[in-house]
Amino acid sequence: MENGDPIIEVIKEITSEQVLLYAEASGDFNPIHVNKEFAENSQFGRNIAHGMMIAATISESMSLTFGESWHHSGKVKIRFRSPAYPGDTVTTSGQIQKMIASEEGTEIKCSVLVTNQTGETLISGNSSVIISS
Amino acid sequence: MDSKKPQSSSHIPNGNHFDRINYAELEVGAVVSHQSYTLDRESVKKYVSAVKDTSAHPKTNTVDPAPPMSIAALSLRGVVNDLKIPGGTLHIGQELVFLKPVNVGTHLECTAILSSNSVRREFRFIVVDLNVRDDLNDYVMKGKSTIMLPVDISG
Repeated sequence: MENGDPIIEVIKEITSEQVLLYAEASGDFNPIHVNKEFAENSQFGRNIAHGMMIAATISESMSLTFGESWHHSGKVKIRFRSPAYPGDTVTTSGQIQKMIASEEGTEIKCSVLVTNQTGETLISGNSSVIISS
Repeated sequence: MDSKKPQSSSHIPNGNHFDRINYAELEVGAVVSHQSYTLDRESVKKYVSAVKDTSAHPKTNTVDPAPPMSIAALSLRGVVNDLKIPGGTLHIGQELVFLKPVNVGTHLECTAILSSNSVRREFRFIVVDLNVRDDLNDYVMKGKSTIMLPVDISG
């Protein structure tokens, strides 16, 4: 691994059924996600997916790329820039930005980005993981 | 994820289950949520199905790890419920640190402490620090969530 290398890309199609399932799994029944009428009268005009449901693709990508180290030492700092809607296809990508060696191992810092099918940024931020030496 | 009864929500202003919270009264440093959960297999399965996570690590005799983000979702569940987050609230930022793998079946204590409460233009910005400990009292996850509520519904 070296600077500039990509992390494993994750692509998901977001469905209304998935949003409802996530509401049940997370206990977050905010009407902006699950109530059609409420969402139609909101600034978004329709239901949006939970931000954390979309952010889960970042964790998936980091876990696929770095394995169990992500569970022990993963860090992520993200901003939710725009919502994902049912019907969207989201793509999660990122790149290794820096690798820092220490007694613990090598800390790998990455940029992370989630975009929709038009290329709009939904989530941006950074993540890191320590690979034990 | 079996939820047990809230243990310390009485310090939330007007925070019983029948009143709306006046978010302007929330003070920095207040424990805004404290919930206990057992991370049961059925709930983890539901979570994995919802996010279509393909990164699951194989179960062995000694480990049966849950996706780290399922722990984050669990800790946020307490915040959403105990703070009675109203419709129209937006989640705008999230920081997470995963400190230890969590196996299915682990008992977790999730605590959220208010670290910032401010108003800018028509929105209230609330930041909570999240801490999750396992049944060995080890921290398994820490985090920081930023949410944005319209002032007209948040006081």
